[in-house]
Amino acid sequence: MLKTLAALTLSLVATLASAEANQSITMQVDGLVCAFCAQGIEKKLGALQASDGVYVNLEHGVVAMGLKPAQDVPDAELKGTLTDAGYTVKSISRSAAPLAEIKKAHAQ
Amino acid sequence: MKHSLAAIACAALLFAGQPAMAKPIAFQNGWTAMAEYGAGTMTEAQSYYAPQYWYSIGGGHLRIDADDGAFSRDISYVRTNALLKRWNLPKAQANIFAFGGLGRAESSDVPGSDTVGQAGLQADYETLRVYVSAKTEFHHATTFDHRIDTLQAGFAPYPHRYDGIATWLIGQARTYTGGIYSGVEGALLLRFFGARRWGSVWFEAGPTFDGKLQSMVMFNF
Repeated sequence: MLKTLAALTLSLVATLASAEANQSITMQVDGLVCAFCAQGIEKKLGALQASDGVYVNLEHGVVAMGLKPAQDVPDAELKGTLTDAGYTVKSISRSAAPLAEIKKAHAQ
Repeated sequence: MKHSLAAIACAALLFAGQPAMAKPIAFQNGWTAMAEYGAGTMTEAQSYYAPQYWYSIGGGHLRIDADDGAFSRDISYVRTNALLKRWNLPKAQANIFAFGGLGRAESSDVPGSDTVGQAGLQADYETLRVYVSAKTEFHHATTFDHRIDTLQAGFAPYPHRYDGIATWLIGQARTYTGGIYSGVEGALLLRFFGARRWGSVWFEAGPTFDGKLQSMVMFNF
């Protein structure tokens, strides 16, 4: 019982620490070829409570979202949001880098 | 000639490798408004709301003027557009849309008004540099039938950025049945579009091969 409680506490601490450390989410998205059509993505992700800005890079098929401090969005919700916008998410990764750095890296 | 245009459309789509025009559905909870001036032969205004990314509802008005001046036709309609299939590929997207609707038509050569049904299909394939689309639209009333087939193919001189302005060079071929226009109406168009926080704007314009203006403007928000 004590071990289970300790494991749960550690898991919670790890999750909170991870959420605190992550400042952005980057998604590799298929079908991302038209700015006119991809506007729905920016609107939908931008409306999420945890969102602190959205970046779309058509050439690299990348959608990135900045996260508000200590906030995160579950993968299932991200996939559902992009699917509802009409696109296919291939991968999702989180980073301690802020959105500005993600933009800079993809702009090069 | 009609068969030739259909064959060219099929060949273009096959060449593109996957199963094209302005799309009748923007995005979930998005509005689309578009207006087209088709070289004096057709003039159309449409507006749609998309509750989901795969369908939209709305309506429009289509004005047809026969090239020999025999008649003009005004059709006001309500219409539903559905995305039948989408292929999201790593560097491309392809779509097949279907649409259908009902409306009222008035023709200068027929007294009174008539109920008109419309149905159509649209397919497109695009990358950041290549664009192909084919669309067929059929109208049926007790006093007339006509079909409008449009094929577009184009390329972008540079891959556009999401926050930039896209530029496309587009070739368009269009045929009409029902005595509206004889032959193929060809046009060369320059297309620009861009997304901003408040919405997206699309504008294209160019001359037809007989020197008339073909143009379209579209807003998504």
